[in-house]
Amino acid sequence: MKYLFFLTLVLVMTFTLSACDGLLNVDPQQSLDTETVLDNSQNVESALVGAYSRMGATDGGAATLYGGPLLYLADLLGADHDELRWSGSFFPQREVWDKAIPTDNPVVTAVWTNAYNVINRVNNVISALDVVDEGIRDRVEGEARFIRGLMYFELVRFYGKAWNDGNPDSNLGVPLVLNPTSSITEENNVSRNTVSEVYAQILSDLDDAKELLPSENGYYADTYAASAILSRVHLAQGDYDDAALESSRVIEESDYALVSDYEDVYNASNNTTEDVFALQVTSQQGANELQQFYEAEDGGRGDMDILEGHLDLYEAGDARLALFDVDGDVSRSGKWTNAIDGNIHIVRLAEMYLTRAEANFREGTTVGDTPLNDVNEIRERADLDPIESLPIFDDLDLEDILHERKLELAFEGHFIHDLKRTEGSVEGLSFDANELVFPIPEREMDANPALEDQQNDGY
Amino acid sequence: MIKKLLSVVFFILVMLPINVLAQNGSISGKVTDASNDEELVGATVYIPELERGASTNIDGEYHIDNLPSGTYELSVTYVGYGSYNVNVSVANVNLVQNIQLTSDFADLDELVVVGFGTQIKQDLTGNIARISGESIEGVRVPSFESAIQGRAAGVHIASGSGKLGQGIKMRIRGSASVTAGNEPLYVIDGMPVTSQSQSGTNSITNPLADLNFNDVTSIDILKDASAAAIYGSRASNGVVLITTKRGEEGRTEFSYNTQAGFSTPTRTMDWLNAEQYTKLILEAADNTDKIIGGTGQRDYVESRFNALSNGTDWRNHEVDADWAGAAFKDAMTLYHEFSASGGNESTQFYASGSFDDQEGIVIGNDFQRLSTRLNLDHTATERISLGLNFNLARSELTRVSDDNGFATPLQLVAQMPISPITNPATGELNDNTLYYNGLLHDEHADFTQTAFRNFGNAYANINLTDNLAFRSEIGADLLNQNEDERYGLGTAGGMSGFNNGLGASRWVQVVNYTTNNFATYNQVFQNVHDFEMIGGTSFQYSTRNTAYVEGENFPVDDLRTIASAAEISDGNTTGSDFAFLSYFSRANYKFQDKYLLSASGRVDGSSRFGADERYGFFPAASAGWILSEEEFLRNNDVISFLKLRASYGLTGNAEINNFGSRGLFGVTSYAGSPAINPSQVANPGLKWERTAQVDVGMDFGFFGDRINGELDFYMKNTSDLLLNVNVPGTSGFTTYLDNIGDMENKGVELAINTNNLVGELMWSTNFNISANRNEVTNLNDQVITGQFENRAVEGEAIGVFYLREYAGVDPDNGDALYYLNEMDDDGNITSGDETTNDINAASRVVAGSPHPELIGGLSNNFSYKGFDLNLLFQFVYGNDVYRAAGRFQSSNGSFLDNQTVDQLDRWQEPGDVTDVPQARYRMGNGAGDSSRYLTDGSYLRLKHINFGYTLPAGLTNAISLQRARVFVSGVNLLTFTNYEGHDPEVATDFATGNLDLGNDYFTAPQARTLTLGVNIDF
Repeated sequence: MKYLFFLTLVLVMTFTLSACDGLLNVDPQQSLDTETVLDNSQNVESALVGAYSRMGATDGGAATLYGGPLLYLADLLGADHDELRWSGSFFPQREVWDKAIPTDNPVVTAVWTNAYNVINRVNNVISALDVVDEGIRDRVEGEARFIRGLMYFELVRFYGKAWNDGNPDSNLGVPLVLNPTSSITEENNVSRNTVSEVYAQILSDLDDAKELLPSENGYYADTYAASAILSRVHLAQGDYDDAALESSRVIEESDYALVSDYEDVYNASNNTTEDVFALQVTSQQGANELQQFYEAEDGGRGDMDILEGHLDLYEAGDARLALFDVDGDVSRSGKWTNAIDGNIHIVRLAEMYLTRAEANFREGTTVGDTPLNDVNEIRERADLDPIESLPIFDDLDLEDILHERKLELAFEGHFIHDLKRTEGSVEGLSFDANELVFPIPEREMDANPALEDQQNDGY
Repeated sequence: MIKKLLSVVFFILVMLPINVLAQNGSISGKVTDASNDEELVGATVYIPELERGASTNIDGEYHIDNLPSGTYELSVTYVGYGSYNVNVSVANVNLVQNIQLTSDFADLDELVVVGFGTQIKQDLTGNIARISGESIEGVRVPSFESAIQGRAAGVHIASGSGKLGQGIKMRIRGSASVTAGNEPLYVIDGMPVTSQSQSGTNSITNPLADLNFNDVTSIDILKDASAAAIYGSRASNGVVLITTKRGEEGRTEFSYNTQAGFSTPTRTMDWLNAEQYTKLILEAADNTDKIIGGTGQRDYVESRFNALSNGTDWRNHEVDADWAGAAFKDAMTLYHEFSASGGNESTQFYASGSFDDQEGIVIGNDFQRLSTRLNLDHTATERISLGLNFNLARSELTRVSDDNGFATPLQLVAQMPISPITNPATGELNDNTLYYNGLLHDEHADFTQTAFRNFGNAYANINLTDNLAFRSEIGADLLNQNEDERYGLGTAGGMSGFNNGLGASRWVQVVNYTTNNFATYNQVFQNVHDFEMIGGTSFQYSTRNTAYVEGENFPVDDLRTIASAAEISDGNTTGSDFAFLSYFSRANYKFQDKYLLSASGRVDGSSRFGADERYGFFPAASAGWILSEEEFLRNNDVISFLKLRASYGLTGNAEINNFGSRGLFGVTSYAGSPAINPSQVANPGLKWERTAQVDVGMDFGFFGDRINGELDFYMKNTSDLLLNVNVPGTSGFTTYLDNIGDMENKGVELAINTNNLVGELMWSTNFNISANRNEVTNLNDQVITGQFENRAVEGEAIGVFYLREYAGVDPDNGDALYYLNEMDDDGNITSGDETTNDINAASRVVAGSPHPELIGGLSNNFSYKGFDLNLLFQFVYGNDVYRAAGRFQSSNGSFLDNQTVDQLDRWQEPGDVTDVPQARYRMGNGAGDSSRYLTDGSYLRLKHINFGYTLPAGLTNAISLQRARVFVSGVNLLTFTNYEGHDPEVATDFATGNLDLGNDYFTAPQARTLTLGVNIDF
């Protein structure tokens, strides 16, 4: 009996000892190991797609960046209170609308962390280009650089002073991180680069992207998307020559075309012919917080009220005015009504006409076409008479172009940026007011000692 | 008990042949107290073999006649005294057998369940709180954690709300981690079970509600390191050992228990009526207009009133709807249980079946559980025994939205009282309200969570020699849970993206396999060296899979399954595993019954850690000295028992993500294309979080143990905290898991049991009180934030409320004021009492703590003749609760939400002295997060009352019943508190992190339940 027991015991112990140790090697079923994941072309391509994904939503489906905040924050911050009202109960958005942003504002914090999350995604792609099949390597690199340039542009214009506000060579922009993160060390404590350093990186990435990208690339970025964003960057820098050249390149060389009916520009399930670059939202993936906040139906919260002050800016008969829906004594933007799969327009061709018009006008040039023709192109699509035939216009002037731009691009994320570069004011605040620059998020200041003393003025 | 069983077995075996030949006789005698010879009235004298017995009369005398000749065991029991067994030989005459009983108050010879074995309580050197299953019978709550609230020192249990089936927090000697789990390890009959919420929403539900706790015979809570270290890497938060009932040899005893009753909210809140509401909000709009000019605010508010009063005359308060009341319903509760237990000498069983039907006090919330259990023990040979425990349960929880959803019933309080609940024109529920009308959800949406649970395990025990035994256990805990959601057309508009109805089905399967194999060696050398040793291995493998599918576009509401959805809008499956491999050993040594030594060690390996740090070693040692066995205390008149004990040990915490140490890419998608993305940054050096705990304690008994108890001091130091460390967002990550930081819990626990009256009127008291102080001692200078205002900061308890400090109202202008609290670099406040009306100018300070300074319970038990009464008071003292919804509910009209009545005390004209600022619509005057909404959460509660009457034995025997008892049972009948919200025992269900403590956000109050019940044994 004793022997039987000891035999049993020894057998059991040996079994558990030897067999189970191997069982501790449990591998994840839904994740891949960082060390080996980017060793083949297909995975690098998938990682690139992952960067697009985060520009609209987290993997859990919460809206990020273009999924909402980058666009509605620009309009909430840049809007006068008699044009746009945040009537919702959420505080973070209200604080931006009030132009009194605490450093721990969670939406402002999330824009920062999500933008750098996307940057890390494309940095991973750029670091692994060697394994990408040669046939697609240029495209993969071009898209990655396009996204990186785009993210740094959004970051620097929200978190740094505008190019035309003081000296960009000494004003602080955002930290430039150009390599992927594989571990957490002291080296991750990076300090802010200057505004001009960040702009230089943006131009370098976008210029490369423009060269590398094909002229057609499905709903991913193509060479014209790079040019379109470049035109914005040049405009922000007051480089009107280049702004005109890039915008004209999109208009003249690409297959993009204005949608004939203004109403059809919005809320389509697929990209329209004038979407130079748009973020895809499907019922399975992506998020559209703009619908949630601007719209009061189909699950929308109706948090953003369009007020008389804005509606009064339109002429009678303007198709863009007709797009607004009356909801009680306020109006709702009709641009964001598709709750299921409405794509998010990042650059529309219409913007290129208005950019070219403004840049040509400021430079006194006619790259591509005259400013008058470009403005009228937009006006006529909105069912308005061309300017030259109207007695109310003596002649086309800059104000008219900017006015047209404001109406055409309203509630698509342009207010604060156009306001700053044109040196306007909002709610009594001048374009260079500290309140109109986002604070560096408190969590970032706490987590990164290199940012000590680098908080923005006024915070 | 074992001894008793064996002696019964022995005598039956030996005496059986004699019985057959015997003739009748009788037995009589007197039962007295051994210490003072007083007669004991009502003692039970019983012959188990014959199922015959008698009670002693007023003179302490008993008489049993008409007994067949033979030798029997006579068993004498009396409350408060140790049971007494004697063998008597009955012949053809009357046998006089006088019996002396010794008072036995402390149950020191009671067996306590320890890890991988049992131990006599007197010999324990660790700290274990034991709660008998009997003491929680009849407590009508969904799961046993609520039932043991207030019954064990140092164990803080709080259920988040009165929603049934919700997760419950149990903290044994405080919180031991910031990022990793803080809940104890739950072990049922030797098998670690799944206790983590499997809910698909943020709100946590409780898988332990699948256990019918009337099947439980004892709950032993291992608190100190000496007791818990045998569970090694998972013992930092304590271990809860649950032992289920087993059969005993003898006749089959049947038992039927039933209870029926109803529940109501413990507390409700008072809200403005239509007249008060319109007056306050219009005043608020006018005040804002005065400040910014024009009449815009009044115009806007009136337009909203016009729109949302649905054509009724709000100016004359035509509608005055009780939205708050609509959140609650009449809740019935019903319970049936049938059990049988018994067996012969070789095989014993316990079998039970129960049905529990509890309706929630909140609309749309109900809980049902059907549970069956069979526990079998079989002695195969003299040396081999084996057995099986098998529990099958189905529980169905009807759920409501999380607390932060407009659809959750408690958010109905925010609706305007001028909005009718039903649309007068159509008679249908009103869908034109300020916020989504949650009643539409009650009518058109279903959310049912069904769990199928099987706890099963088998064991074999081989007694190889008289001293050496080997035990092998294998078991599985299977949990299959389905969450079925269906949102009908009527709910469209309430949630984003609904398109003609939405349905979702989520399945979770968690399978836990465990096997324990260990040997126990017992030997007494030279009569004074008592030696026990165990050693063995344990292996656990857990696998968890989920499947989810969601569909939209249903033709009609009645079609519930997703087969009817025109569009499948979402779907996924997931899977994840973990494994633990452990080797453990423990040795107990006792010398001369007074010196006790114990040492244990466990080596744990886990798949969760990096290959370099996969194994951890967790040793513990303890010693005890029973002074009362020493000459100088033996036979002392006052001190009947005194033991000093001390322990020290290491335990660990591994409750982190399954792959927390690895650098990972996750999977995502974009526009229909699959995609991958960096999801976690690697930390190959990630290791166990370790807790070193010292415990010094004493067990005492006075006056023949009539007063007895335990006193413990402990200090728990947790180091290498598994911490989600904030990293610069510029890295592309926001946090990573690292071993950084230290935390400390220290405290004192006292439990006292007294037998105040013995005899016919019996009165005993159990009192426990404990204090725990938690301090986060090192976080590498980080500040970690919870979802609300809780933070973990160095030098403070985990989860303290970090808030701007409300300074009341400026009597001159009605502005809300805040203390500036400007601080120098050392954190000293330099601005004195200076205040500001700009909330952003005020600095945040530690304004309160969610942790109670003291917790405890006081239980009084009375019995007189057939009556028994148990009253349990439970208290929590010195904690704060943050009423996070206060900024909407009590914001002096800053929004259109209905307000609590105390807002009528708002400032109105210069000179008004009040705490409620001037009403200013939309201006947030005082409505920011601040200590204005932080209130004392202390409470004293009549947690449980049980009052019963057992019918006289004569009456019940006449109808062939062993026992019949009727009783009234109540839960939470009285609550004493100054809390301003619903109920101070609160934790909102959608914020469930370790830091998210003590927040009330439209959270349902606890239920107050009163039931009438019957126990019948036959």
